[in-house]
Amino acid sequence: MRDKEKNLDQEMTEETVSELEQWSPAKITRRKRFVKDVRVNWQLYLMVVVPVAYYILFRYVPMFGNILAFRKYQSGGSIFGTGAPSFKYFGQFITSKPFWQAFSNTLILNGLYLIVRFPLTLIFALLLNEIRNLHWKKFVQTVSYLPHFISMVIVCGMIKELLSTSGPINALIASWGGEKIPFISLAQWFRSIFVVSGVWQSLGWGTILYLAAMTGINPSLYEAATVDGASHFQKVMHVTIPCILPTIATLLILDIGGLVGSGGAFEKVFLLGNPMTAETSEIVSTYVFHMGVESGSYNLATAIGLFEGLINLILLTCANLVSRKVAKTSLW
Amino acid sequence: MSKSEQSSPEFKEIHIHNPKNKIKESKGYKVFTFFNTLIMIFIAFVTLYPFLYLVSQSFTSEQAIYAGHTGLIPEGFNIKTYIYVVTRNDYEFLKYYLNTIIYTLIGTVLSLFFSCMLAYPLSKTKLKINKILSPFVIFTMYFGGGLIANYVLMLKLELKNSMWGFILPMLISTYYVILMRSFFMSIPKDLEEAGEIDGLNKFGVFWHIARPLSTPIIATMTLFYAVMYWNNWFNAKLYLQDKAKWPVAYFLQTIIRGAGASDPDAQQMSANIKSCAMVLTVLPIICVYPAIQKYYVQGMMLGGVKE
Amino acid sequence: MKTTTLKKASCIGLAVSMLSGFVACNKTTEEESSSEATTIPDQIETTVDPDANLPYTYGLGKTFHADEPVTYTMFFSDASWYPMVDTWKTEGVFEQIRQRTNVTLNIISYDSGDYMENITLDINAGNAAYIIPKIYDDSAFVDGGAIVPISDYVDKMPYYTEFYNTYNLADDIKTITRANGKYYKLPGMKEKNLINYSFVIRKDIWDAAGVDVEELQKTWDWAQFLDALKTVKAYMVKQGMCSEGDYIWSDLWCGNESGQGSGGNLLGIMASTYDCNAGWNIGNGMRYDQASDKFIFSPTTDNYKQFLTTANSFIAAGILDPETFTQDDATATAKYYSGKTAIMSINQGQYANYEENMTAQLGAGNFENYVITIPVGSTNNSTVAPERLENGVMISQKALDELGEDGFIQMLRFVDWLFYSHEAYDLTKWGVEGVHYDVVDGKKVLKDGFCCGGLGYGNNAEGTLTDIRLQWGYAGGNFWYGGTVDEMSDNLIPPVADYVARDAEYRDTPPLAPGVAPTEDQNEEINLIAAPLITNVNSWTLKFVTGQSDINAQWDEYVKSCEDLNCQGLVDIYAKLYTGK
Repeated sequence: MRDKEKNLDQEMTEETVSELEQWSPAKITRRKRFVKDVRVNWQLYLMVVVPVAYYILFRYVPMFGNILAFRKYQSGGSIFGTGAPSFKYFGQFITSKPFWQAFSNTLILNGLYLIVRFPLTLIFALLLNEIRNLHWKKFVQTVSYLPHFISMVIVCGMIKELLSTSGPINALIASWGGEKIPFISLAQWFRSIFVVSGVWQSLGWGTILYLAAMTGINPSLYEAATVDGASHFQKVMHVTIPCILPTIATLLILDIGGLVGSGGAFEKVFLLGNPMTAETSEIVSTYVFHMGVESGSYNLATAIGLFEGLINLILLTCANLVSRKVAKTSLW
Repeated sequence: MSKSEQSSPEFKEIHIHNPKNKIKESKGYKVFTFFNTLIMIFIAFVTLYPFLYLVSQSFTSEQAIYAGHTGLIPEGFNIKTYIYVVTRNDYEFLKYYLNTIIYTLIGTVLSLFFSCMLAYPLSKTKLKINKILSPFVIFTMYFGGGLIANYVLMLKLELKNSMWGFILPMLISTYYVILMRSFFMSIPKDLEEAGEIDGLNKFGVFWHIARPLSTPIIATMTLFYAVMYWNNWFNAKLYLQDKAKWPVAYFLQTIIRGAGASDPDAQQMSANIKSCAMVLTVLPIICVYPAIQKYYVQGMMLGGVKE
Repeated sequence: MKTTTLKKASCIGLAVSMLSGFVACNKTTEEESSSEATTIPDQIETTVDPDANLPYTYGLGKTFHADEPVTYTMFFSDASWYPMVDTWKTEGVFEQIRQRTNVTLNIISYDSGDYMENITLDINAGNAAYIIPKIYDDSAFVDGGAIVPISDYVDKMPYYTEFYNTYNLADDIKTITRANGKYYKLPGMKEKNLINYSFVIRKDIWDAAGVDVEELQKTWDWAQFLDALKTVKAYMVKQGMCSEGDYIWSDLWCGNESGQGSGGNLLGIMASTYDCNAGWNIGNGMRYDQASDKFIFSPTTDNYKQFLTTANSFIAAGILDPETFTQDDATATAKYYSGKTAIMSINQGQYANYEENMTAQLGAGNFENYVITIPVGSTNNSTVAPERLENGVMISQKALDELGEDGFIQMLRFVDWLFYSHEAYDLTKWGVEGVHYDVVDGKKVLKDGFCCGGLGYGNNAEGTLTDIRLQWGYAGGNFWYGGTVDEMSDNLIPPVADYVARDAEYRDTPPLAPGVAPTEDQNEEINLIAAPLITNVNSWTLKFVTGQSDINAQWDEYVKSCEDLNCQGLVDIYAKLYTGK
């Protein structure tokens, strides 16, 4: 493994290799190998030319914007910032207690959501795959996707109505003689509400990739298992799951690499959270929002963005390493 | 767990998903099927109910909504809000719909094409360049340039206020490329090698062997990309200043926001504007979906035939 | 080809000369500002151009008119409930402006919900329009150099100067003046503030319950108001209109949507009667205290504690729905429209809207809406803002760079006419006299066949009237600023005019706080302290108000949490800023 990493480093520097270094015999053979690789696979290399150009222009060129994590930005001033570069903006949030509160909330919220959602989605996909009546299967599949298309504003509006003290859930509690619970304004309920509603929204949509992977499984594998006298459950365990393991692992790695990011969660937390639940609902992106992106802390937002990216990249790398060892699947 | 080792072509006709195949249905499996059906009914109900409720609300009269109407049958059938949304300003709504259809079609085709172009070579682990290319691509998932830098780039490229300003920023989704890549990786190597022996070049192998075998993932990605283009309003907000070029998602977004009464002189829109907007957005996707869904089934059969 | 190169060359030449001219002019202003940095004159003296040979006519009482047609770019906030259509440009408001002034406005419009974000991006990217209207907070743009410090030029603007001098707005303007002694936006100015936000009640129910609102409201405090509400609820319960466990007050503009997580309108209003900041008005918590002549951190004062106790009493009495602070606005309005609640927040623009919805819901004659005068807290002050300023217009540096100083001043004089002359005010608000409206006994009335949602003139049941706002863009939010009391109230419908008048009669005008102008670095420091601090304050406030926390038992704990988040730091910065004057 470590060798591979080393290789990678060297490959990257190869572009800028200096005249002197070319004397090294190891380098020459590596370069030769590379040239040979290009000659054999030139069509594959040709395929990536446009996408790579796209990535450079639309993904890498704008990264100059990150300079604003280090240099002061004045609205309407230079987009490269002014003054000497410093780590001041990192200091501003790293020393702030509320930031770390928001940071751990993000991790807990995303982590809980992942732990609950991930296996449920997988199980649901497996169960769907067991349905024999094709029409029924299609129906359940289609219906389970629907929540994915309801906008967050509507979803949160419905959650609030459902959980309000005059809503159906509290009516049920009251009819059992319980005390009414103002779910939405209690901090201890926020995480459960977030996770459960999230699962409801994404359960069906999340199965799509698994189902696609399952349809790609070679049927003869099942046949062989049948011949070997495997029970149904055994077939699922020993054929289906191993065959979709790369998909599972890939998705899991990607999800773990997004634990600190709060892209999708922002809108929901923003709509569902409130000051009374802040101790559990304030996440990094709402923290940034409250710090006032519009009123000039663009520097701070950029610095936090870089920090988030870094943490996520570390998480991703770890997940990738583990996955390479355990599931023999990795992103690179 | 290599697949070629386990496949035994002689028993091709036995297939667990084949309804005609009734052998070995144990009692345990029957119990399982029963509970599975129950679970599915539960999930279908839980996901369908709120949706139907919203559809019903979109047709319910305002009075009934204010009075707290809750149910699956609309009360006082009312299509006033639909008529308002669709007909206002000389049916501008239809213009936005057309824009969305054009953007979605062009965007999805281009996205699929270039994503495959990137994902397929990425799936070849032996390809030297991938040691650089994979990190190069994945890195962009975590580090972006921020709003200002992207905006300046689009201005400099003179893409603002054009269809390309809407499509190009999301042309290739790294997340989807990685998912496609991992599917391409699962295509049996021997099939591709056989193709090369038959005289196909690398691109030919991709086009004639890998692509047909990847129908399920391509169908999935078509759905994902199409939904992404269909629902996107953020790029429209940033890069499509000219109203005539708006996609319908952004138009509905502005109407829904205008319905909030917090602006001192805002006029409240009908109470069911949100549910109407939802129905108008989702309807086409629901109509198109079954057409895509059938490729999952097809993909499965293809896999069987090819062996 | 040749002409374009020539043009380019001359453009560059022009730009160079302009730039040098600008640098020179910048120098002089800098010298001036260093000597009298923080002086905003009580009266502005208009400078008269010695060179009378201008390519345009302008002046007090005159219509601005350019000899040659000119075009200026302008940002425009386009509201989705009256979206801009082509007829605005071909025959409506923009064409009328062109006919009068020979100026074509090249409109760059953004949807109102995204307006601030999009124009900020454009300004950041160097893509700003010349004229930038509808700016509430200009503090972000001050130091970037993209916006002209307009205070250097106001002496060139006759209409602005006249209003400023007549109504003595110097102290108000000081509140938007920056650390360098300049201000960057031309604010909408008002002779006097008129109340906007209050509460509407179901007067038919209140009357039936035997509460004499009209008499009570003159001096009532929040406790008397609560008693009145209790009487109303008792009546409603007796009549079977609601049960004991129901709330008759479930407010809007307080939840997440529009309340901004602070308790929104309701807490803002209530707190300002106790001379403290909360809800929409929380800001960074700092408030000027007249008695001690100091800036204090409002949320830890005794006034604030009193306000919390009052707010909590409405929840504790089972009158105010605790879900007010979490629910969607639509939920609240549905309850009021259907008669489940008997009181709700309102502003001037919403009265006609409420009436319309309730007529559809309850039937005409089955209800009576009445806007009350807000109860008294620890002061008798009205809840209007003390500053007589509205949102304003910024002018981009690009205009100065591209037009040259003379061209720039010409544009400023056009802007002056458009935003501060009575002629333009009437045109942009009411349309063309004799065509869209007539003046009858000194009062403006729309002519037959027209209506205007923005002016409170609803359409008829068949919808056959032409809305002058939808059709031609009159009465839109981009032009419609302050002005004299007569101008501001020329369209108020009687019930609204009535509560505006009552507020002015029964309540006092709040005193104006002295302006403090933090530097950019101080501003950053203030934001860094304030953001987490205010989140904490809002969190505690809502817990106190809804009764999740006990005001008496946990008050010290709350004050301690604010101190831990360095509220003293804010006080220190403000003290330095204020006494530094």
